Amino acid sequence: MNRTLLLQQVLNGLAIGSVYAIFALGYTLIFSVLRIINFTHGAIFTLGAYATYALTGSQFGINGLLAGAKLPFRLPFVLALIGGSLVAAVCGVIVERLAFRPLRARGADPLLTLVSSLGVAVALVNVTQYLFGAEPYSYPDPLEALPSAVNFGTAGQPILVRTVQVVIFGVSMVVLALLTWLMNATRTGKALRAVAEDMTTSSLLGIDTDRLVLLTFVISGFLGGVTGTLIGLSVGIAGPYFGIAFGLKGLAVIVLGGLGDIPGAVVGGLVIGLAEAFVPAKYIAYREAVPFALLFLVLLVRPQGLLGRAQVQKV
Amino acid sequence: MVSRRLHVSVSMIAVALLWGAMVGFAADPPIPIGVSVAQTGPVALAGQEQVIGAQIAEDYFNKHGGVNGRPIKLVFQDGGSDEPTAINAFQNLINVAKVVGIMGPSLSQQAFAADPFAVRAKVAVIGPSNTAKGIPQIGEFVSRVSAPVAIVAPNAVKAAMEINKNLKKVAVLYAQNDAFNKSETETFQQAVKDLKLDLATVQTFQTTDTDFTAQVTNVLNVKPDLVIISGLQVDGANLVKQLRDLGYKGLIVGGNGVNTAAIFPICKAKCDGILIAQAYSPAYKSKINDEFKSVYKDKQKKDPPQFSAQAFAGIQVFVEALRALDKKSPIAKMDLAALRVELNKQLISGTYDTPLGEISFTTGPGMGGEIVQKQAYVAQIKMDPDGTKGTFVFVK
Repeated sequence: MNRTLLLQQVLNGLAIGSVYAIFALGYTLIFSVLRIINFTHGAIFTLGAYATYALTGSQFGINGLLAGAKLPFRLPFVLALIGGSLVAAVCGVIVERLAFRPLRARGADPLLTLVSSLGVAVALVNVTQYLFGAEPYSYPDPLEALPSAVNFGTAGQPILVRTVQVVIFGVSMVVLALLTWLMNATRTGKALRAVAEDMTTSSLLGIDTDRLVLLTFVISGFLGGVTGTLIGLSVGIAGPYFGIAFGLKGLAVIVLGGLGDIPGAVVGGLVIGLAEAFVPAKYIAYREAVPFALLFLVLLVRPQGLLGRAQVQKV
Repeated sequence: MVSRRLHVSVSMIAVALLWGAMVGFAADPPIPIGVSVAQTGPVALAGQEQVIGAQIAEDYFNKHGGVNGRPIKLVFQDGGSDEPTAINAFQNLINVAKVVGIMGPSLSQQAFAADPFAVRAKVAVIGPSNTAKGIPQIGEFVSRVSAPVAIVAPNAVKAAMEINKNLKKVAVLYAQNDAFNKSETETFQQAVKDLKLDLATVQTFQTTDTDFTAQVTNVLNVKPDLVIISGLQVDGANLVKQLRDLGYKGLIVGGNGVNTAAIFPICKAKCDGILIAQAYSPAYKSKINDEFKSVYKDKQKKDPPQFSAQAFAGIQVFVEALRALDKKSPIAKMDLAALRVELNKQLISGTYDTPLGEISFTTGPGMGGEIVQKQAYVAQIKMDPDGTKGTFVFVK
């Protein structure tokens, strides 16, 4: 492999890895606080993408209950993205109220919460299909004025990365920085970390745990909406099942990076993206197996994931 | 008084005419032909186009004398987008509606499931849009008016060679987790070799993939003049978009999976220029196609798509075969079982001047029912500059 191709594959890996990372951030946030996998994240991601689509004033297609419908106004893309992500955040709150809080109040087994979130995810995907149909959609391109790819090489030996992927990489780094700041440098972050450490004790210390759990779902839902929209911008909204494939990959990313560890989710995403980029051309269609093979190998050596802390067994 | 007498006379004449007409219909009921296409489910878009084509055919042929004076009546039974619904629809048409033959179902995979029921009941089936390998081989009562991929697909490569006379290097990409695309790519790769082109790279992907950066990098490395894609609509369109985003400027040939306007929302202005082989062209000059096109345009305000034309052709084959059979031995005197068998024999032996061009069927034990289509067409996608609307423009 020559140097140009090597660099090209590294950049390809970082570009796709940042997509996985930004998706996994929403997942990992809830895990870090509640110690549960929120399977609805993929469905909320999809709903957020559709909500942004609606807010850009675009029309829905010919299938589904909202066939032919469109909003009477048209928001610029960035405002639509924020609006769509807020809709996703509201969905996050509804999901928390319906699928998580009742079980938490009864002290149910975490496995039941997992199953409950899976049920809500399936229901959400089907509601999405019922409303918007199964056809693909894509946004009016806000990056239209820019060149479609950025050249990181020379004119003679170009190393091209799609502009939209550069944007996604940038946004995922900004989101990572904001989340790290929120968790480490604010009172809310400290309270969230306390809740993550021990919910009962933090409640006894006067922390409103229910409010903080709700806040976690709001942030995670908002992130889901941002991610769904950005990925939709890159590859279109492929249909109601759009988020499901990312859900599975996201799970591999957070386990690889270390469950509940925010920088770990980003590292996990980038490692998996890079590993996929270096799959030989002949076996490229089998690259879906790469994250899971890598996960298996890493877990053999570091069961807590790449950046995760070893869990102290409380007897 | 005069006026009253006139009223009575007119009323009597009207009653007599009505009675006569009723007696006439009772003696000569319309001939029921079953149509089972996807009116619901994800394939409904294609199915709706097929329904329109079939309805136009019903009106057209009834206005042109039906089957030697006897009208036909299409019995629609929703075949859905899955196998069980198609099987139920077939059973219903055969046993309850007692049709003489069936046009349907919409998908090849439905045909593999439902057609055997028609074969066992000895009822002729015409596939309007089944293009997979092995459809006529399901049984002796199965034919199709949809040209298989192996025949149609190479025409697009030839059209690309016409556009770029220096075309040499070809990159092929296909979805390896989809049976149809795997078989289609074999046809394309064979065509590339037969046309003495250089097959520089073959890349694979999955229909569920969204990121094709790795495949595109590998394709761009060999600097191809032509890229051939066999995939489904979303993955195929994303692949086209990412190829163009990363600077590919050469020709693109798409397979049947991207032969739909549903790719436009994904690749938008970047869909422009994709060449796709077609089994039908609205631009084809013939009396029947002009008439079909004009009725379709009146109703739908656009040129007819391939699915509607094939559905029209399917009903036309039934009607013309029934006419020919009736002339040989009057079908009114045949019982249903005999009529179904004779109709099948008749339809595969005929030649038909349809909107698709002249078609006939192969005959012989185990190999009958395959369409032989004289004309071949290739379309090129032309998108509006803003990428919201596109059309399939036929390449001459």
